[in-house]
Amino acid sequence: MTVIDLWIAMPLLILAGSALAILLLGAMVPGNHWTWAGVVATAMAAAWAIQAPPATIAPSLALAATPVARLFAILFSLTAGAVLIISHRYNEKRGITGEEYQATILFCAFGATTLSMSTTLLIMFLGLEAMTFGFYILVAMELKREVSAEAGLKYLLMGAVAAAFLAFGIGLHYAGTGSLSLAQALQAAAGNRIALAGWGFILIGIAFKLSLVPAHLWTPDIYQGAPAPVTALLSALSKGATVAMLLLILPSGGSDTIRHLLWWPALLSMVVGNLAALLQTKVRRMLGYSSIAQMGYVALALVSGTTGGYRAAAYYSVAYAIMSLAAFGAITLIERDGAGDSLEEWQGLGRRNPFPAGILALALFALAGIPPTAGFTGKFLIFTAAIKAGEIPLAIIGIITAAISVYYYLAVVVSLYMHEPGDREEVFPALPESAVLIATGAAILVIGAFPAPLLRLLAAALP
Amino acid sequence: MGYDMTGFPFLTILIFLPLATGLCLLPVWNCRPDLWRPVALAGAIAELGVACLCWPAAAAPAKGAPAGFFLFEDYPWIAEFGIRYTLGMDGLSLLLVILTAFVTLIAMLASWRPVIDRVPLHYLLILAMESGIMGVFLSLDLFLFYLFWELMLIPMFFLIGIWGHGRRIYSAIKFFLFTLAGSLLMLLAIITLYLIHGSQTGVYTFSLYGLIGTVVPHSTALWLYGAFLLAFAIKFPLFPLHTWLPDAHTDAPTAGSVILAGLLLKTGAYGLVRFGYPLFPAAAATLSPLLMVMAVTGILYASWIAFAQSDMKRLVAYSSVGHMGFVALGIAAWTPVALSGAILQMVNHGITTSAMFAMIGMLDERTGTREIDAYGNVWGKAPRLSFFFLFFAMASAGLPGLNNFVGEFLILTGSFKVSHLAVALAGIGVILPLVYTVRLIQELLFQEERRPLIIPDLTVTECGMVVVMACLDLYIGLHPGPLLDMLHSPVAILTGGAG
Repeated sequence: MTVIDLWIAMPLLILAGSALAILLLGAMVPGNHWTWAGVVATAMAAAWAIQAPPATIAPSLALAATPVARLFAILFSLTAGAVLIISHRYNEKRGITGEEYQATILFCAFGATTLSMSTTLLIMFLGLEAMTFGFYILVAMELKREVSAEAGLKYLLMGAVAAAFLAFGIGLHYAGTGSLSLAQALQAAAGNRIALAGWGFILIGIAFKLSLVPAHLWTPDIYQGAPAPVTALLSALSKGATVAMLLLILPSGGSDTIRHLLWWPALLSMVVGNLAALLQTKVRRMLGYSSIAQMGYVALALVSGTTGGYRAAAYYSVAYAIMSLAAFGAITLIERDGAGDSLEEWQGLGRRNPFPAGILALALFALAGIPPTAGFTGKFLIFTAAIKAGEIPLAIIGIITAAISVYYYLAVVVSLYMHEPGDREEVFPALPESAVLIATGAAILVIGAFPAPLLRLLAAALP
Repeated sequence: MGYDMTGFPFLTILIFLPLATGLCLLPVWNCRPDLWRPVALAGAIAELGVACLCWPAAAAPAKGAPAGFFLFEDYPWIAEFGIRYTLGMDGLSLLLVILTAFVTLIAMLASWRPVIDRVPLHYLLILAMESGIMGVFLSLDLFLFYLFWELMLIPMFFLIGIWGHGRRIYSAIKFFLFTLAGSLLMLLAIITLYLIHGSQTGVYTFSLYGLIGTVVPHSTALWLYGAFLLAFAIKFPLFPLHTWLPDAHTDAPTAGSVILAGLLLKTGAYGLVRFGYPLFPAAAATLSPLLMVMAVTGILYASWIAFAQSDMKRLVAYSSVGHMGFVALGIAAWTPVALSGAILQMVNHGITTSAMFAMIGMLDERTGTREIDAYGNVWGKAPRLSFFFLFFAMASAGLPGLNNFVGEFLILTGSFKVSHLAVALAGIGVILPLVYTVRLIQELLFQEERRPLIIPDLTVTECGMVVVMACLDLYIGLHPGPLLDMLHSPVAILTGGAG
């Protein structure tokens, strides 16, 4: 292991090392304060990933610190840190104790970061499974709630099936081409029937992870059942990591067939996700369907297959991570104070809990794609890329479903602001939670209205 | 006059001053309720002041600006996509900017007493909306324009939904979805135009004056213009896309109705004049008969429906559809005279209809009902209020000597060359408003009292407000020269091909 290897792997070492350390030390010094140790670890990992590495590739580790990988490493670390902060009080209130919570979150961040840095299919698979394994635990963490356990079981079953598809697909690809390298994977697979069949399986696995239709059915249940902060993490990390994975594979060229396989899932996700979300009466379930639709837009960007499309997908996954963090962060605060999960119980929250309600409303407007939020800019980039690539029918369907989607986001805003509040008292969030929510809210507006720096970054990273 | 104003960011101030004032309310949000109204009002007055200061600037054109623009600001914004922060003011923008500042002030005064719930939020939303509308009237970059175009929906959605009456939530959502659905398709058209221009010239830009003159195949241009027309026609609103308007108007609070009628409807017409026609002249010419049919149908249909209304607000809402039909007719004709008339009519309608909604708001506040059947003999109880009600109703119906008459006259004169039939039919539409207006006046003011309502007369503030509006109505009605002079150069430039 050389110095360069160590340099490149450092964020991973920080995340995994601190996860293990928390598990070990937590056994001796139990308590909830491990949250802050975890936050420090994620901040350190993010800070390390900001620096430019002396060399991009660490061949002996099959890891690469490309600009895209570093961007996602920073995003995942910071998201994990933010989720740790918003979980703190929620866990106290909900009786989720034990340092394994913090350790598992760090472990998820480790898995996601590994995935975005991988250079072979094998490491990619390991990273993905490391992350998913963490989520199996986190989703079921709230042992006292029946829905949480049910969600955990569902996620485990679905995830195991997806993992099997992925592993089998990778095996077929290896059998067909004799190589596990990511960079040339698609070129190597072109014209090779066994390898292409393998890619079919891999795409099914990916569709599960991205919750693209028709592999989407687990999503609403998990979104509804998991603890709110975990849902934020799941939404930001698992989707972001899968997009990162596609961004490692697709731009390298090769056959267009594989990319075009995403055409129908993109279309169906936008239509089914948005229409099903219209029928929901529970906020979290609605957001679950909304995430299906949002990933449909990302798939639309990927289908267009131009650099503009890839950049748009990367931008949107960053934006989506922030929007989910804001939305579920606000939901964490709201639910912690005893509101149930149906819309009726949320009536008048805009007056009773103005701060979390305001952030939630902002996040919902962003998800609906109203300017000047990141959601709007992201959709603008996606539709520009799609039209440029000639995917005009898909773009038109996308924009019509986007118009439909506004209804269900508005329905929540209506509940928050246009009904009289119940008789519960106003609750004040703690300072660190407020800081996280304010930061995400500001980020939604800033990268929406001033996307130029992020776009320049992406232009350099995805040439 | 001509004092040097180059370099002073008047336009940026016009856009962000209201929003900044609104944000000034945040520190006093929970304490100092005595400061809420004065701070908001001061912001609105300052805004009107800045808007009026722009009038003398019209004497000299701005450097580096497209022809006709006398104030111009241009900075790079998102360079990767050729998006710029470009603002410009010509005579057309100027009139609408002043109208915006004025109507917002009226809306604020009109909600002075009725709004007692969540007051700072109410004023913050009004001010945010003023910022959005200013942005729409000043943007010369299509991306920027679209941004403001959608931004102004959100405050109105909350205004209707929180402070509205009746089925306020239904109306708020209907309003939002209708207008958003149209504008999203316009977004697709904007992006397509941007890409066509980019692939032809290699220059990717959203600048209006960069995109004008792009050669688009006629069949494509029809689709693109159709998307623009749909977005603008919904806002206008043109028959048969008007159905959101009566609901939104009826259920909106007074300030919401005033801004909706006075300003938001104008953005549709403005968009068509500023963007739709110049970007796609050939497609616009092809589809102008369609626009004319929609306009004339709207005029006649709205007058007919207005006659059957029992709610005063709904009646005035339908009369708005009719008046905006005249504006659409003037634009569809696209001759200098008709277009000047259409723009003037936008200003006229802004003032008169705002006044009507403000007066209905006053009656509603006093009695709690807007049903025409409930009233009677208001003249006997509140003569001053009745006088101004009569005055604005007559102005709205197009009485010669008052402002609406001038606009309608110019539109009909200017359109005559283009289509005799349309003008003949619209001519009937000049008479029909008299029918329902006279009925309204008669039942409301002069018929015998039907319910023992107590109607105090106008207060001093209210009196001041309506007197100013009445004077404006009279002034434009008797001496529209300065306004038409202001419009002369932009209209000549816009209609260059047709005129």
